[in-house]
Amino acid sequence: MGEDNKTINRRCFLRDSLWGASLVGLGMVAGAAARKHKKTDLIWQIDPYLCTSCTNCATYCVLEESAVKCVQVYAICGYCDFCPGYFELGASVLEPGAENELCPTGAITRTFVEEPYYEYTIDESLCIGCAKCVKGCAAFGNGSLFLQVRHDRCLNCNECAIAMACPSGAFKRVPADQPYLLKGESHA
Amino acid sequence: MMRFAQIITGIALALISCGLVWSAERFPPPDFESGHEMPSPTTPHPRQDIYEYIDVVVLLAALGLASYLVLKKRSRRAIFALTVFSLLYFGFWREGCVCPIGGTQNIVLSIFDAEYVVPITVAAFFLLPLVFTLFFGRTFCAAVCPLGAVQDLVLCRPVAVPSWAESGLRLLAYVYLGAAVLFAATGSAFIICRYDPFISIFRLTGDLNILILGACLLLIGVFVGRPYCRFICPYGVVLRQLSRLSRRRVTITPDECIQCKLCEESCPFGAIKKPAAKWSDQDYGIAKKRLGFFLLILPVLVLLGGWAGSSLKAVAARAHETVRLAERIYLEETGEVTETTDASAAFRATGKEIEELYADASSIRAQFGFGGWFFGGFAGLVIGLKLIGLSVWRQRTDYEADRASCLACGRCFEYCPREHVRLEQAKEVKT
Amino acid sequence: MANTWYRCAVATALVSGIFSVVVCVFMLLNHGKSTIVDTEQELQLLDLRADSRTQPENKQLLSQIRELDLQIRQQRLRSLDHSRMGGYLLLGGVVIVLISLKVMGELKRELPAPRGGADKADEQIRRAALGRWAVTAGMALLGLGSVFLVLRPKIDFPAAGAAGTSLASAELARKSWPSFRGPDGSGISTHTDVPSDWDGETGKGILWKTKVPLPGHNSPVVWGDRVFLSGGDANDLQVYCFDAASGVLLWTGEVTRVALKDDEEPLEPMEDTGFCASTVATDGRHVCAIFATGDVGCFDFKGRKVWEKSLGIPDSSYGYASSLTVFRNLFLIQYDQGGIEDGLSALIALDGFSGEIVWRTKRPVGNSWSSPIVAPVGEQTQIITCADPWVIAYEPAKGAELWRAECLAGDIAPSPIYSNAFVLAIEPYSKMVAIRADGRGDVTQTHIAWSMEEGAPDICSPVSNGELIFLLATEGLLGCYKLSDGTKVWEHDLLEYFQASPSLVGGKLYLLSEKGQMFIVEAGPEYKQLAQCALGEECRASPAFADGRLFIRGLQNLYCVGNSE
Repeated sequence: MGEDNKTINRRCFLRDSLWGASLVGLGMVAGAAARKHKKTDLIWQIDPYLCTSCTNCATYCVLEESAVKCVQVYAICGYCDFCPGYFELGASVLEPGAENELCPTGAITRTFVEEPYYEYTIDESLCIGCAKCVKGCAAFGNGSLFLQVRHDRCLNCNECAIAMACPSGAFKRVPADQPYLLKGESHA
Repeated sequence: MMRFAQIITGIALALISCGLVWSAERFPPPDFESGHEMPSPTTPHPRQDIYEYIDVVVLLAALGLASYLVLKKRSRRAIFALTVFSLLYFGFWREGCVCPIGGTQNIVLSIFDAEYVVPITVAAFFLLPLVFTLFFGRTFCAAVCPLGAVQDLVLCRPVAVPSWAESGLRLLAYVYLGAAVLFAATGSAFIICRYDPFISIFRLTGDLNILILGACLLLIGVFVGRPYCRFICPYGVVLRQLSRLSRRRVTITPDECIQCKLCEESCPFGAIKKPAAKWSDQDYGIAKKRLGFFLLILPVLVLLGGWAGSSLKAVAARAHETVRLAERIYLEETGEVTETTDASAAFRATGKEIEELYADASSIRAQFGFGGWFFGGFAGLVIGLKLIGLSVWRQRTDYEADRASCLACGRCFEYCPREHVRLEQAKEVKT
Repeated sequence: MANTWYRCAVATALVSGIFSVVVCVFMLLNHGKSTIVDTEQELQLLDLRADSRTQPENKQLLSQIRELDLQIRQQRLRSLDHSRMGGYLLLGGVVIVLISLKVMGELKRELPAPRGGADKADEQIRRAALGRWAVTAGMALLGLGSVFLVLRPKIDFPAAGAAGTSLASAELARKSWPSFRGPDGSGISTHTDVPSDWDGETGKGILWKTKVPLPGHNSPVVWGDRVFLSGGDANDLQVYCFDAASGVLLWTGEVTRVALKDDEEPLEPMEDTGFCASTVATDGRHVCAIFATGDVGCFDFKGRKVWEKSLGIPDSSYGYASSLTVFRNLFLIQYDQGGIEDGLSALIALDGFSGEIVWRTKRPVGNSWSSPIVAPVGEQTQIITCADPWVIAYEPAKGAELWRAECLAGDIAPSPIYSNAFVLAIEPYSKMVAIRADGRGDVTQTHIAWSMEEGAPDICSPVSNGELIFLLATEGLLGCYKLSDGTKVWEHDLLEYFQASPSLVGGKLYLLSEKGQMFIVEAGPEYKQLAQCALGEECRASPAFADGRLFIRGLQNLYCVGNSE
């Protein structure tokens, strides 16, 4: 019987020390995380300077209607009469219509401001993030239209499906207190 | 108007030849004479941090409550209610990310990548269930984890899985954990998240293949208790080991086992261990020799596994986008393929050197080679230890919940006659 | 009664089960209908549109396009609606099926019927054996799987890119700004389209501005899309990596500060030098930093620490300030300390991959604050160093001395430059010496071409375009001299104080004052100010240049100035 007690004691001791070791190990992980942590969450965003306007943002998002949408930074926009993000390059008449517009969902509205300027506004409920306008604007315009992850829609997946499909590594994790990477803005 | 368009088109075509220049100010932004105010782009705010902290608090509360319900209250009904709550809150309401299972990868990545800093809430989500398991057993699995919850709720016609199948299938979870750590450490992918079968169900949208995978697992889950938790979940592997050491544990009986065998079939997860019979001296002798043999081949298995894991590096490294890109560029350079992909075109547009890309890809492969030793060694160790574990005789006189496998769901409680005695007594005390 | 309930539950389960299956089938049919891009219909639309370009008057075609477009868009919205509704319906259906199944289970629950007898020993033995076989089978499957994967075709990259040993090309290094004062330490940028118009107050031309966590007077260095610099205080020594495009701080590398020995005095550097006056250097694979404490740390571009070591706290009267220079895989440290007679000074070459000391050459000089340069002299590459009293050139692979000239005295801070066959060395407040770099041994008597003994700068290094030399004194006097003989061409008082060294970019001098004013002056035989741009923050560090951009470190922030916007 004494023998049995001894083995049980030994087993208890072993278990206790392993238990302690596990606790210390978890403490160390916690310590390491605390030493190098961010109070704010990290969220996904597109670096507009790296984006190549492929159509992956429209197709790879886990949401049926992508969380990536086009953003217009008006301060950079040239308010062109012929907007290369709005009209197809060969458009013969500068008038809205399925035969002239690039946007497949008609999400961009073109409003006259004053001669010769037009303002282009994006209706986000229609935008699907296909980057057709982005491509045009970047190639021939000022690049004021570009894609951004819209955080009212983004579910912030731990592994973003679009980021994995992004051909140019434009998807980044950014701190939640600076959720957008808008062109022409400093990140102080 | 027509002419204007043609001129613009002409300018535009001329600009094509200059290539893509980002945000060049080709057309200066206007000064409006009409006093038109330029709108500014909207920037809808992400989910506020306060909600992340609330999630942590809810997790803490749920873990505490689950532990209380399992160990003190011993009420399956209450555990069931908490399970439903967790499914609704962590699953359908919070829509998944980040969960403790996936959080493992964030922690690993933050250790190996100085650029990645783990948010404090993610660290909390990863650590809290582990700490609770170390004290109270797998109460996280019981009623807090939404992945466990959804499987627990669909379980209607439990079928017993033979113990040998369970032993073999469980290897999958260990390998999955090892692979997830390897891919996260090299910054390649978060495979646990990519192949999370239930998140698409919580979100009611997602990749079709993953949705089908989730639906299949749930269909299996109607008959086989919690297939993901038992055979796949990589976090469960960690919880298993910590649960072995836990301070408190689930006991089927509130006081003493009277060997009535009523609980024998009550566990749908095969986690109830029966009393052990004494082996004959002859059997015992064979077992001893076998144990010695397995102890001897353990280091061989570890080394063999490590070698195998490391020789997988070229294939495994393809999980990393840089390696994929480098291989694609290599194929294009050597003329084996002619068309470019989006990624290779984007790479060439940056003007970076191909040599440098190859060097980066090679160093990532080397990381996989190095990490592969640990991954394979881990797999070998697990197999070896499993063989050893299946060769020893453990003394057991009562019906007990297996420390590692018990998911603390509380189904067995009401099968125990002693539990009914306890409840009667409690009622009497009250009246 | 129970039976009725049971039948009721069965019926509910059946009905809701069929309902769920139907919904499921509909959802599968609906799947993918909401996508617009890269679909057949879209291609059809694009074709029609292309047709309409050639037939602008075809009204029928026009209406066909509009109709198809409308159809596509309606279909998308409808499909979105359907899948949303379908999701909820399916969820509801499945929940009802589950509830009825559970109710069925509860109603038909059987009492536990334990089978006779405790488990027999041989039963347990058999189970364990089966378990072992299952594990072995699993192992075999894993083994087969890995064999299958290993046998898949592999790609071996060309040997030049062998893991971990390849270096970035020299051409790339010339395009970057890899160490203090750029390629060759000449202060000359290979880019010409650097902006010349900005204003820190209004934000004009400032692409981004990011706060640097810890202070330091060292200058930024640039490689590709990354900007590196270091910062430190009495507690922490850190290396920073910023994203050149956005300014986001990508990572912070911590260099361990080696604990003081018992007999060592704690280092209290002067404010002008601080803990990290030395600029970091990069070989395109690693970035290496040295601090006034003698601690050196090296990180890869991902921020992983590759190695670190301590050279011991240097004996330097104003605090160690020489910057690192890079030659291929070697980081070169001009570790001058103590007096001339103390024999403590040395030039040290550390391997970027391992941190090992590849060579260490003793130097017969006292402490100095000048940085070494690596310059191509004819066919050869020379490391050129300035200190009291010797200007010494070394061969970079082994660290053997090539030539030396005794011509300097006092506290040497400006770094040398090499231009058009001449090495130019400066003795603060006193003189500038031009040495022909093709000598061997002691060349004091033979190779000193000329010496210009008229107030030389005390901190800023010179810059030369191959014909003219430009000197900038701390007090703001900008002087222009002929490289051939050292005669003065012109001088002009900028009326500000300067600590940053001048740079030459596309024929223009960039002079950054302490107050953050950038004077842009033509590098020609006559003084002509081209522009003056204010940063709005005090500056001590020299700016770094890249394609279309320059990076300026203020006392608090790092700025990126660019052409766009």
